[in-house]
Amino acid sequence: MRGHALALVVFGAAALTPLVLHDGFFLDSLILILMWGAVSGAWNVAGGYAGQVSLGHSAFFGIGAYSAALMATRWNASPWLGMLVGAVVATGAGLIIGYLANRLKGPYFALATIAFSQVLLIVASRWRAFTAGSEGVPVPFRPGLWTLGFASKVSWVYLVLGLALAVYAVQVYLERSRVGYQLAGVREDEDAAQALGIPSRRLKVVAVAASAALTSGCGTLWAQYVGFVDPFYVFSVDLSIRFALNTIIGGIGTAMGPFVGSILITSLETFLRATFSDVRGGLVGIYLIIYGCLLILVVRFIPRGLVGWFGERFRAMGLHARA
Amino acid sequence: MSAVPQLLVSTVLLGGIYALIAVGLTLIFGIMRVVNFAHGEFLMLGMYLAFWAFTLWHIDPYFILVVAVPLFFAVGLGVYALVMRGVIHASHNVQIFTTVGLSTALQNLALVFWTGDFRFVRPWHSGVVLRIGGGAFNLSQVVAFAVAVLFTLSLFAFMKWTHAGRVMRATAQDGEAATLVGINTDRVYRLAFAIGIACVGVAGVLISPLYSVYPTAGLQFVLLAYVVVVLGGLGDMVGALLGSLIVAAVEVIGSYLFGSAWKEVIYFVLFIAVLVLRPAGLFGQRGAEALGV
Repeated sequence: MRGHALALVVFGAAALTPLVLHDGFFLDSLILILMWGAVSGAWNVAGGYAGQVSLGHSAFFGIGAYSAALMATRWNASPWLGMLVGAVVATGAGLIIGYLANRLKGPYFALATIAFSQVLLIVASRWRAFTAGSEGVPVPFRPGLWTLGFASKVSWVYLVLGLALAVYAVQVYLERSRVGYQLAGVREDEDAAQALGIPSRRLKVVAVAASAALTSGCGTLWAQYVGFVDPFYVFSVDLSIRFALNTIIGGIGTAMGPFVGSILITSLETFLRATFSDVRGGLVGIYLIIYGCLLILVVRFIPRGLVGWFGERFRAMGLHARA
Repeated sequence: MSAVPQLLVSTVLLGGIYALIAVGLTLIFGIMRVVNFAHGEFLMLGMYLAFWAFTLWHIDPYFILVVAVPLFFAVGLGVYALVMRGVIHASHNVQIFTTVGLSTALQNLALVFWTGDFRFVRPWHSGVVLRIGGGAFNLSQVVAFAVAVLFTLSLFAFMKWTHAGRVMRATAQDGEAATLVGINTDRVYRLAFAIGIACVGVAGVLISPLYSVYPTAGLQFVLLAYVVVVLGGLGDMVGALLGSLIVAAVEVIGSYLFGSAWKEVIYFVLFIAVLVLRPAGLFGQRGAEALGV
């Protein structure tokens, strides 16, 4: 269990919470924390482990959300099937954008991914015949596991917890497997990695595609939970930034970072939303001002994020204790 | 064919304004090697400055320019000292997320203070119609174009003929060599950032009578400016001018042929195509993108 202590605490607490707390507001916050943590973890696969920092990941999130919603409304298909289709489409999209933008570094890659998500936003909001256009798609609520409709939030907690664990497992795999080490090599020094015979271009494309598929899966679940797909939200640059923000504040390239970031950010958001909802709508924006500033401070002073920073401190303490 | 002169005039008018937005972005990139993801937010702040001056004191946006230039220059100096200075030698990721954080903070500052309502600036000149080349344009658009061109040309003249301009170009070419010959690069970066912000702030004031003002108003323009700047080659100022005309032409002709709904798809696809095929821009040096510069 070495190295999983933090995960055990966080996911254990999430699993136990519904047994003690039945308050709808808290359970809703918990679901959102796990959900945003999972998507950010999916972003981390490309942005953190492969160093392909995307600011257009909402494209894949939207693909997942739309696939399930459209298939359910049009053909009465199960959201699980929609999730599968979404993941396949997102993988394809990830392969294409990953391949096309493969040579691009830093800001160029970020710009290319932003443009990609904007294209999907325009298509989704204008192609009225297929996507219902800018009005968005309401997701039909049909109770049952096969149709992904649960009246109780407790079922949602465990479902999303499962998703979070799956994303966590993928990240841990990328930390400890051969592929993970190869990716780290490509991220740190691509020329050196290539000289050692690592197929760097192929690895980066595969990482982006895998990240896209996971992100799309999260998008499907999110749409089923919220019950509505709005193109201007699911394909927005803000959403892409949110995935990156959680991960960076928590710790980029660490398996628990995205979840720690999400705990901080999502809970402050829900708290402020609840506090200011009846005062003035705009005040909710306060949390984003805080995050904007937090992001600037974190990348400057603790670029490895909270998990990375505390991890270092603990390891340092451990060495002292042994010495 | 009767539409051709009208499309041409529209393209030039639009291109002139895009140029002023893009030239600041490309100046900052060319000299600091930082892509300013918060560029659009300064445009938005310029629009709000014009809006409040017009609404509260009935001052015409064009008189506000006199205040906007020094004000945004000062804002640029301040933001540089507080935020940008510390990350100028940091990695790409740190730089990207510093400006992304700045963008998020500024956008929501506007949202909290001024709400998300769409606001309008309608001075008398936005109602005056001029006929040029068979098309109708309002006076605000024509003046915005003229002033934008004036500012852009002054910036070119400044870069070409003044000592400060030469120093900036030298730093852009080789920062280390510039330091060796005694150039204080920190001051150069500060000046470049302040000028870039002043340009985009002025552009915001200029376009305020033409578009609605809201907290995320900067986004659509800055996305456009990225397209312009990448087309022209990041850091290439003349390229930015040509890029502005290309994007304006795509926008004008695209909305003429396919309707305004789909024009954005055209330039984003163009954008991705340029990034993929010639990431250094249509006129830039090959390989710049692989160096990450």
